[in-house]
Amino acid sequence: MSFIKKFIEQETVNRRNFLFASAYGVGGAAAMGMFGPGMARAALTDPTIAWSYRNRTNPYWNEIVSGGEAFVESLGMSKDALTHLINEGSSEKSLADVKALLAKSNGNLALAIDTNDAPNARPVVEAVAEAGAYVSTLWNKTDDLHPWDFGDNYVSHMSWSDEGPAEQTARILLDAMGGKGGVVHLGGIASNNPAIERLQGLKNALKDYPDVELLAAEPADWDTQKANQVMSAFLTRYGDEITGVHCANDTIAYGVLEALRAEGIEGMPIVSYDGNPQAVGLVAEMKILATVFTNPHWGGGITASLAYHAATGAFKPSDEPNEHREFYGPTIMVQPEDALEFKASYLDSVPTYDWADFWGPSNGPIVYK
Amino acid sequence: MAVTGSPEAQKSAGGISRDVLVRWAPLLVLLVLMAFFALMEPRFLTVRNFARILIAASPALMVAIGVTFIIIMGSIDLSMEGTVSVCAVSFAFCFIWLGGTLASWAWLALPLALLVGAVLGFVNGLIHVKLKIPSFMASLAMGFVGTGLAMVMTGGDRIRIEDELFRSLLTERILNFPLMVYVAGLFVLIAWFIQSRTTLGRNFYAVGGGEELAHGSGLNVDRVRVMGFTLAGVFFAAGALLAVGRIGIAETATGNNFMFLSITAVVVGGTALWGGIGGVWNTLVGVLIVFVIGNGMVVIGLPGYVQDGVLGLLVILAVILSTDRKSISFVK
Repeated sequence: MSFIKKFIEQETVNRRNFLFASAYGVGGAAAMGMFGPGMARAALTDPTIAWSYRNRTNPYWNEIVSGGEAFVESLGMSKDALTHLINEGSSEKSLADVKALLAKSNGNLALAIDTNDAPNARPVVEAVAEAGAYVSTLWNKTDDLHPWDFGDNYVSHMSWSDEGPAEQTARILLDAMGGKGGVVHLGGIASNNPAIERLQGLKNALKDYPDVELLAAEPADWDTQKANQVMSAFLTRYGDEITGVHCANDTIAYGVLEALRAEGIEGMPIVSYDGNPQAVGLVAEMKILATVFTNPHWGGGITASLAYHAATGAFKPSDEPNEHREFYGPTIMVQPEDALEFKASYLDSVPTYDWADFWGPSNGPIVYK
Repeated sequence: MAVTGSPEAQKSAGGISRDVLVRWAPLLVLLVLMAFFALMEPRFLTVRNFARILIAASPALMVAIGVTFIIIMGSIDLSMEGTVSVCAVSFAFCFIWLGGTLASWAWLALPLALLVGAVLGFVNGLIHVKLKIPSFMASLAMGFVGTGLAMVMTGGDRIRIEDELFRSLLTERILNFPLMVYVAGLFVLIAWFIQSRTTLGRNFYAVGGGEELAHGSGLNVDRVRVMGFTLAGVFFAAGALLAVGRIGIAETATGNNFMFLSITAVVVGGTALWGGIGGVWNTLVGVLIVFVIGNGMVVIGLPGYVQDGVLGLLVILAVILSTDRKSISFVK
């Protein structure tokens, strides 16, 4: 059994060496600290500003990117100065594009990105940090990846938790149904996190409404036409049993409304999510009872702004508390009584945001379950 | 030099010949599916539900018929998503610009949309024929161009068509079926007429059945191809109009999913991908199969991903049925 003994000995030595090394490292870091923050990597001047996202055909992403453009314009540049990296739903392309742009700009880059899926966030962040550039992420990252583990280069991450707001809209819906009857849910792409959270929100609310039955929950893939078909089929299966519809987003609600219109059904209580302009109009007309606005314009702008201002040294991310580096985006509930006012102040004229007010409208630190 | 759509049935001794089976299999599949869903959920077999299925199927039927002509020629057209988006968006822009109601000059937007479809199809055909790019690549690329063009035109926004008169396509019903179903039916008859009663229709089969032979017989194959793609573009535009009529929204995403739906429908309907076999009626049955599955799955309460799986299996089944494996020595 000598090999076991030898192994244990080796491990003991290794651990001792590791502790020595750590102590040395901590001491070294402390010594470096005495020379002040000037030891940090020099800030960038005039970095390339880029937004990496899926594509603009989706109204939501269109809003995000328009926010990025508004930020670039606020710097006195034309909006064409924003570099667009379009991944078309491919994580591989997303990463390859980022690496190419890092090489082209020689690391002089302020990047805002949704990495398309969570696992892709790590390689992207690592590539950016290695090149000395700055990145802020939106929506997708794994739970073990944190901006503070990368010094200043991984500036921030913003996401939204949809479960709470979706539960609120569900309660509005269930109240409008008089607390009884049957509800159907038309969801997003089944594996998408927001789709899961929004359905969960409905289920949470249903616990307090024992007389309402969840008749069915079917994915409609965020798609108006698919939602239209699914709703028609629901009408065949459940007919008059359906007394309320919970939609995972606005584009789904449009399809549902048209399916009901085809059948001559009016006044069915419906709630949705996202706060697209058209949906807000429908809320004002009482055709949708509530939607949730997440201010994608601000989200897109502030993500680019954070990366840019960290890159130029206007603020130092590592001096900020953790809740300034991982935080939830804003959510605003839109209901018929305030829909017109909301429309006037947020949609008809896009507010001019102070892009240096990084955390004003945000919604608290991200909580991991 | 007329070539018939399906070769003369060769009666085998006893029982049904292969050709008869191939010809009627899609319809049989449709009936079996309907019987299955009706058994599982009697409400499937109501007139209102058939109306729902037909409303959902009408736009895709137009697109599938367009691509049927191309597939009969032995080519393929994958530009439908882009073409549908561009036609829908340009229709909506013109419609609103010219007054926003069918009762005004805005009706001109309808023929204009068909014209836009024809032009896109024409360009598609020219690229395929003149630059000698395989149709699948040329049309796929044109589809991307179309999607991009629609994106540039709308800037990512969606355009609402609220005109009650135009929306009567969906809201007005004759004998329980909305007007758009009858419009789709009219286009099917036109397509059938083109397929069986015009030289162009015959020429599609000639090209698909044996291009060398057709060329050798003096047929201007290139011209037939370009006209085929143009015709397909017109039908894609018709699909776009019905899609806008159904949802009341024109946007870049209007064209989404039409590629998968229409190609699946054409193949499941029994039109062979190597050309010369099949036609409009096959496509009608194929589209109905696809949408009966889509509707029936939800009606009997099966989850959506099972639906995709079943469609995939049906495509394989359809190709097995419509292929005479003895006559094919290798598959590429």
